[in-house]
Formats: sequence, C-alpha cells, structure tokens
Amino acid sequence: MTIAPHDQTRGDSAQFIEFGQSASLSRNEVASLCMKAARGAGLSWGLAEEAGFAAEWLVHHGIDGPSHLYAHLDQAQGRAWCDLCPTVTPGEWRAPAGYALCPIALGATLCDYAGLPEGIKVGSSLKIGTVDHPVLLIPFLAGIAVSNDILFDIEWAGGTASLEGGHEALMQAVSVLGGQRVPIKLTARFGKPQAAKGGKALSISAETIAALNSLAMRTTVPSSESSRAGAGSTTTDND
Amino acid sequence: MFQSAHNATSPTAPFRRPASQVMQLERMGCSHPTRLSFLRTMLRRLHRENWTVDRPVWDVDDTGSGHAVYRTRCGGRTYSLVAFAHDLPDDMRSDRVIATAWDATFTLFDGEPTLADIARLRDNVPIQEAGRISTRELTLARANRSVRLFHHVVDALSQGRQPDPAEIADIGYLMRTTAVYGSGKFGAADRSDIADRPELAAPFQVEMLTVWLIRAFTVDIAEHMAMVKGGNRAISLDRNLRRTLGVGNSTGLGMAPFIVRHPVLLNNWMMAREEALARVRAQAGATQSTIAGLRVALDTTIQNAACWTSRHPVQVPKLADLRTDVRLLSDTVKAWDFDQPHPWDALWRWGQDALSCEGQEALLSVMLEPHGDLVDDLADCMGADEAPSFCINGAMRVSELRAILEQHYGWALSIDFTTPENIARFWYVSEEKLEPRLGERATEDGATLEQPLCIARLAAELDDTLRDRDGDEAVAAILLAHPEHRYVIRRVQIAQNHPYAEVQDNLIAAAMLPIDLLRCKLSFFGATRFDPRSDRWVRINLFQGTPFPDEIGLEGMQ
Repeated sequence: MTIAPHDQTRGDSAQFIEFGQSASLSRNEVASLCMKAARGAGLSWGLAEEAGFAAEWLVHHGIDGPSHLYAHLDQAQGRAWCDLCPTVTPGEWRAPAGYALCPIALGATLCDYAGLPEGIKVGSSLKIGTVDHPVLLIPFLAGIAVSNDILFDIEWAGGTASLEGGHEALMQAVSVLGGQRVPIKLTARFGKPQAAKGGKALSISAETIAALNSLAMRTTVPSSESSRAGAGSTTTDND
Repeated sequence: MFQSAHNATSPTAPFRRPASQVMQLERMGCSHPTRLSFLRTMLRRLHRENWTVDRPVWDVDDTGSGHAVYRTRCGGRTYSLVAFAHDLPDDMRSDRVIATAWDATFTLFDGEPTLADIARLRDNVPIQEAGRISTRELTLARANRSVRLFHHVVDALSQGRQPDPAEIADIGYLMRTTAVYGSGKFGAADRSDIADRPELAAPFQVEMLTVWLIRAFTVDIAEHMAMVKGGNRAISLDRNLRRTLGVGNSTGLGMAPFIVRHPVLLNNWMMAREEALARVRAQAGATQSTIAGLRVALDTTIQNAACWTSRHPVQVPKLADLRTDVRLLSDTVKAWDFDQPHPWDALWRWGQDALSCEGQEALLSVMLEPHGDLVDDLADCMGADEAPSFCINGAMRVSELRAILEQHYGWALSIDFTTPENIARFWYVSEEKLEPRLGERATEDGATLEQPLCIARLAAELDDTLRDRDGDEAVAAILLAHPEHRYVIRRVQIAQNHPYAEVQDNLIAAAMLPIDLLRCKLSFFGATRFDPRSDRWVRINLFQGTPFPDEIGLEGMQ
C-alpha cells in the first residue's frame, strides 16, 4: 500500500509533456508548455503568457514556434529585465547594452505602444536595436496589423521581409528571419492585412519538447508530506 | 446580444445582484445547479434536435474486458464514445500509484472510428496520461467502479432480482470518473477547432456528452457481468431504478484554479445566471403554470436535500441549513400571494431575509426552473472567446486603470496583506504530480514558486505601484517599467467590462476553503450531491435522475 493519496482527483489545469518522442501538439499544449517554460526561464507571468501566445500562433500557422522560443529562452534565461527590454523613444527603440532584445518583451511592448507617440504607426518607420530570434515578433506584429490596418515590412542588413500577402509571405518571412540576431527597421504602411490561414499540423521534435519541459519543471515545487495529505483521497478507491 | 442585454438601462437592471454579493467565495460555495447548467443545456439540445444514440459495438468478454462504441448522431455529425472495459482486480484499484489501473477508460471520437482508429486508441486510451490521442478525439476519461454498489447490482441482477433501491440511493452511481480531459489535452482536438459547431458552442458540451454516454456504459457493463454470472437467470436493471443512477466524480484541487484562470468565462457563466434570476424577478406577475412548476421544482429540491449526505464538518451544518430552509420555503410558497405586484421579486426578497446562503442559492435554482421560455436563451451566452481580452490596452491612462481598481477591486485593496493569516497559503504546482497544490507559507518551502492565483494581492501590489505614478502616464510605460504587473493589468482591464470576472475573496487566506471554488464550477456543470471529503476535494454526482440514451424524448430532458 502506498501512503500517498490515490489522486482520484487529477485536475484539468496542469500541462507538462512527459514523453520522449516527437509529437503534434495541440494549440492548448503548445501555449501551456511554452508559457510554463518561459516562466521557468525567468520571464514574469504576464510575459510568459505572451510567450505562450506567440508560440501557439506560430504553430497554428504551421511554424515551429516552440523550437524558436526555446532557442531564445536557452540563451536569455536568467537575464534581468533591464537586459531584455527595449529603451523606448519615438522613432528608435534601443537594445540593452551588450545584449540582444528579447523578442517576447519587444513584441509585447510594440503592442502596448501601438497608438502611442513612441509606438509604430502608419506611414512611419521604427529603428530597433539587435533582436534575438525576430521570427518570434511575427505574432505580435500580426496582431497590431489587424487592429490598426497596417502592412509591415522588416528590414535588416542583408535582407527584408514583408508580412503582406497571406501564408506564402509569412513562410517566406519565417525562412529569411529564422536564426537571425540583427538590428531591424520596421516600416508600417496603411493597408488591410490579408489574414494568414492556419498551416498544416507539424510535429515538434522530442528535443524541443524535452528542453521546454525541463524549463517548465522549474516552476514546480517538490511535494511535502503535508501537501500530499490533503490533495486527494487518502483512503482506497474501493468503496 | 448578451452585453447589450446586460447594460445598466435594461429593464432587468434593478433586479440584478451586485458582483460584491454574488462573487463572494462563501456564497459561490453554496451554488446549486440550475437549468442553465451545462449538462441540462446538452440534454435539452439533444431532445430538441432528436439526436439518436446506439451501440454498434459491444465486444466485451466474460472477464469484463473489451471495448464498446456508443454512437451519437446529430444534425449531420456523429460523435462516438469508445469505451475500454478492463478486468481490474480489487488490489490494483486500491494501489493507485500504477497509472494503468482503472476499471474503464474512454475517449469521445469525432465521427465514427474505423478498426484502425480503435486499434490506435486501444494502445493509448487505457494508459491515459501516458498515451497520446489525436485531433480526432475530443475527450479522454477514466472511471472506477463503486465496488460495493457494482457488486450488489451484479449479484442481484445475476440472481434474477432487482437491486435494493436503498443501496442504490446510498451511493448513487456504479462508476466514478476521476478525470475527464478535453480542450487539447494529450493531443486531443483544441476547443477552438470545435467551438463553432452549434452543438458544442456552450461550455463543456463534449465533456458532458462523454459523461452521459459513460453513464450508459456503467449500466451495460453491470448487466453484462450479471449475464456472465447468472446466465439465463440474469435480468436487466429496472428502468425506474436505472434513472436514479448517475455518474460519480471525484474532483480535487486540480480543478480549483480553472475559474480563476478564466475570468471572462467565469463572468459569462455568472452573468447568464444572474440575468436569468433578474428576468424572473422583473416579471410583473406569475402564471398558474409557473407557480405549479415552482412547486414541482421545490419538491425535487426537498427530496434531493433529504438524500444528500455528507460527513464533512463544513457540509453537515450547511445541509442542515438547507433542509430547514427548503421546508420553510415550501411552507411559505404554499401560502404565497402570487397576485401581488412583482410576486417573484417579493419571494426573492423574502428569501434574502429568511434563508441562509444555501437556501437563497437553492431558491435561485427553483425560481429559474419553471421559466425555461424566459431564460433558456441565456445558455447561448455562457461560452467565451478569450482571445480578444488577451490584448492589453497600453494607451489607457494610469488614472483610468486606478479608477477600475477602485471600482472593481475595492474588496482586494481593503485586505491587509501584512498579517500572517491573510498570506497563510500559497498555490503551487507539485513536481511529483504536476498538479496544483496549496501550501502553508509559514511551514513549507516553495513559496518563491507561487502561482499567480491570489488576484487580490496582485491587485493590491499594482495599486501600490500606481500610487507613485502620474495619472496621465500610459499603461504601456508602467508595463515597461514593471513587467511583474503585466499579468494583473490584463485582468484589471478585463474586469472593466466583465463585472463578475473575479472571485472577490483572498485565495491565500488561512480560512479559505478550496471546495467553495470547486462547488461553484461543478454546479455550473450540473453536479448534485456535493460531498466534500476534505477542504480540498469532493465527490459529486452527474446526470442522476436524467434520461438514458434510449429514453431521449421522455420526461426529464428539459
């Protein structure tokens, strides 16, 4: 007999992925796992939610958001907020000295400032310091685009990408932005963005799942005897 | 439709209860199921739309092992419960650290499963969390027998006699589910993939359909085992007795954070229920049929209160209150002057003075019961697309954010978070079970890994920060300077247009009862016989008294 509760009462809110193979994850699983991983890597709860949102958006559009997110979190984990976030001034947002901007922090802040003088607006450009994994910005820009009738162009030394033109443009942008760590220039033009359709279901690699899971596990607490005691039944399930 | 129906100038506005009353945890912990509960919504729909249910596959051997398929057809779609029956020795059931030990496991399949689908599911469904399902599956669930009642029913039926009604009444179910997972868990279809189907638009419809079909399986497997045991002597369970069986469910802390994590959804559930009550109260008069309906509903409530047992020290006095209240209510209704102006409102006001919290919430339920024509459309407003409210309005001024805090979070700002009893607990996720748990801050490690479930304290901390900021500053600047407030700022902005979004209590206080959170959620499911086994887990019954799949169209579907 075990002295642990029989846990008749397993809930519906926790989600960690505990298997050693690649898998097609549901959007709910992606958002939940990536949110926990981002929190485990040191982002605040609210920003960790943004990370979950971004990864889920990318997966929904057929892009391996979890792998991009892990690649970013792996090198940014534990950094202080001031070493992740932009310094915001009209027309130019600077990266922290010696570091690349966190694309989650940058993306969320771009959304927050949309419509404010310091933010991106139609007919203008915004210079932004070095951004880590700028592909993770795309979900945030897509949100701003739809809400504000904006078409975005992204420029950097050696390349450009446009988010105009539906799924094809999106995949093109992802292929050229993937793996970059560069200063960028965002240009906003007026126009109705074409909604990118959902992409094909894609399989997330076992390595990415395991890596995100190990970050997510940092948000958990080893159980104590007292906490086990009240969580579920301590009697048998034979009544 | 819903937002406009709920505005302050609507004729029902004067009859609405304020969130400051409705959202207190103690009152939420007295919630009763109503006709807007999700299992009722599902039953009404399948009656109205004449759904058909059959059982094309029953492949279960003499040991009780095998599988069955229950097929539900509605408006061009088919949903199939695939049930795996297991021959589980009693000692396996008691030693639950082994993750494969359930009497039965289930999945709701979107369509009709092929043999290949069944083979795939057989490899995954019986091992539950250790397996993977696909976007063709909508839920994953498992159940254990109530050993005592199951044996009793099988024994009796195998010997050609009906089981003892008192035994059935004592337990109320043949099997108890211990988890019903939906919404993309373990690879299942996401809620967003199916939410636009009319039959699944209301919350938790796939979960309710799963449990309702499981209920049919629990009787079929008992009758099967009786046949194996008794051969020709065995008989089927009497239809009237069968009706009194529901599906048991054990629910613990794992479910408690749900209503905190889904503020828009909680708001919509509460708002629909409160608007329903307001519509009933706002009526100028009462018809003979609604008065008769009230009396029938009250009789059912009295019977239910009489059969509802619990040994838990919190629930025992609440049940005593309820029984006293429903008797008083019954006597009062017999003599009630329904010819007076606004008789329903007068009855409600009487209840507020005369009844305990349990009795008041039971009164709400019985007052809605005869008013289906007036309130059932509100069931369509209880789902939520949470995506739009995820976006923070960074252009909002600090002064406006503070105004929302003052209007909607006054209850939180008045709590003194420097006293030990007000910060006695912390919510965390256990490494061992990956499930939400509640720790004691003073004596347990792990508070640095606290989950953001104490909204009251987060709101108070935000208020502290905002005090030192210029009222004209943009919220965007606060978020950039204080990323730790991002989580609660999102919620505060949600609360601006969702008055019932927050549980208005301190969820880390020493005296907080997690079962109150559970009861609120479970009552919206339609659960009855809420029986706490500690301050943090409960047993309940679902679908007790409702029709079985072969009774669609008969009484009780409404």
